[in-house]
Amino acid sequence: MTGGIFWLASYPKSGNTWFRAFLHNLQADSAEPVDINEMYTAVIASGRGWMDEIVGFNISDLTEDEVERLRPVAYRWLRHDKEISYLKIHDAYTLLPDGEPLVSREGNLGALYIVRNPLDVAISFAGHMNCSIDRAIEMMGDREFRFGSNGKKLPEQLAQRLLSWSRHVASWVEADGISKEVIRYEDMKTRPLETFTRAAAFLKLPTERKRVEKAIRFSDIGELQRQENEKGFAERPMRMERFFRKGISGDWRTTLTPAQSEKIIADHFTMMRHFNYIDEHGQPTEV
Amino acid sequence: MTKLYRYHMFGLVVVSDMVFPELAPGDPNKEPDVSIRQGHVAVDGLPGGAIQGPFCYTTTEPKQFWLTVPEIARYQVNEGREIVVDPFPDVDEASIRVFLLGSCMGALLMQRGLLVLHGNAIRIGDNCFVCVGPSGIGKSTLAAAFLQRGHDVLADDVVAVNDNCEAIPGFARLKIWQDAADQLKISTEGLRRIRPGIDKFDMPLREGFKSSPLPIKWVYVLQVHNQQEFSLQKVTGMDRFTPLRNNTYRFRYLIGMELKPRHLKLCGELAGKIHLARLRRPEKIFKLDELVDIILADVAAHPMQH
Repeated sequence: MTGGIFWLASYPKSGNTWFRAFLHNLQADSAEPVDINEMYTAVIASGRGWMDEIVGFNISDLTEDEVERLRPVAYRWLRHDKEISYLKIHDAYTLLPDGEPLVSREGNLGALYIVRNPLDVAISFAGHMNCSIDRAIEMMGDREFRFGSNGKKLPEQLAQRLLSWSRHVASWVEADGISKEVIRYEDMKTRPLETFTRAAAFLKLPTERKRVEKAIRFSDIGELQRQENEKGFAERPMRMERFFRKGISGDWRTTLTPAQSEKIIADHFTMMRHFNYIDEHGQPTEV
Repeated sequence: MTKLYRYHMFGLVVVSDMVFPELAPGDPNKEPDVSIRQGHVAVDGLPGGAIQGPFCYTTTEPKQFWLTVPEIARYQVNEGREIVVDPFPDVDEASIRVFLLGSCMGALLMQRGLLVLHGNAIRIGDNCFVCVGPSGIGKSTLAAAFLQRGHDVLADDVVAVNDNCEAIPGFARLKIWQDAADQLKISTEGLRRIRPGIDKFDMPLREGFKSSPLPIKWVYVLQVHNQQEFSLQKVTGMDRFTPLRNNTYRFRYLIGMELKPRHLKLCGELAGKIHLARLRRPEKIFKLDELVDIILADVAAHPMQH
């Protein structure tokens, strides 16, 4: 058995889809950019049809807690595959009541964690959730935040625990007993070759310079936007006008009010300081 | 002696030592086809069996299927004739029945050589259409909407298709979520929850399930997309095969029981006889009336000769 899972983990709107576009292009190594609607890495971590197939019964007849207990079992099953799976995940790294991590220890090859300045995340997250920026900031500060259902219908995705932005980051970067690599969205922008090469090496993917450079070019925001304009993007939530928005760092400087950025900094001081998004006085840095 | 109950589902007479309030009474004068009994099921799978997943084993000779639903029950389905249930301690009967009537019946019908699709079958005159698609796409809600418009629902979740490409009526209930019931203004008061703790109810059906098998003339593959409108796209020729294969009930059961060649042959035969279309609905917004109208109009526009 050579299978198992490399998790591509991040808080939503932190560059996960961009990274997956890079990964698919790196694997494909073809003359044309990969079709953004053919990125299979999206479907599994929180999809339910896949899980029905693995466990062999309708998980829609289970409670959310019962489903959560089955998730590690289903992920673990992927170690029986012949190939490594690269899977996107927005859940925080949490332990189930019996101490088993949601993403399972067995068959877990490691996690690439992508972190992005929460000042910019807040703007994109508001767009993603179709809510005000203030509401997005509130969700990012909610220690127990989860995507889920009202329990009265079957959501297309499983319930996902995100926790607060800070707790999400901490849960992955401080997770015990799994192999980890952390990259910053801002470094994917400003030092792409170095950052993407480091990520590729961690994920046991080719790191040959020309190949990495081509994959970076083929997953450039301009290319992703071009494809979305041309044929749409299946992963775009309907409430969003477009998925690949600006793809820039520092947008918050012209978009957030001082009160909003101060609230985010107050909520997430320690973790923002850790990733050098603010200095020791809480002043935003130039990243 | 244990009291035995007699039921009718999927054209089969079933005797059981468990009570199934979901099922219709079976003909006392007919020889039973299937027995359901509580008994011992091995804890660790089938000896010599192939492991199909973390909770599932199969053998080919004899055709056996083994399933554990954690904290609920272990099940073994033998040769299309018998289902043995071994419940976990203190589990409620409703929970035991849900997975027996779903996964285990699906496996039993496969063992009996039927083509089993994941979807539902709705009667249109002396024929029927089948709507397939993944869990959560709204198949049961759609079936309930058709029921309200006066169309019988022949089967929900598990659709058994015989050699003549006819859908066999399953059993007389639809599993409906509270939200769907609210949308259709169906009161769930007095309805049984499919399991304790889940806002999903057993909705009894009318007489549709009593009919004989009905020819399948149309198949709709229900999908979602991030557009505002519905879209209906006809699929022709050999392209009709893949959606049937992909919407087979639990494909991995088949592989394990070496039923795949027969299954693919049946898919091919059915594909050749039906009008098949992909029906994409907007995510979130689920305009049921409009969806029912679209299907009825498409059915009327394609009067298929069998």
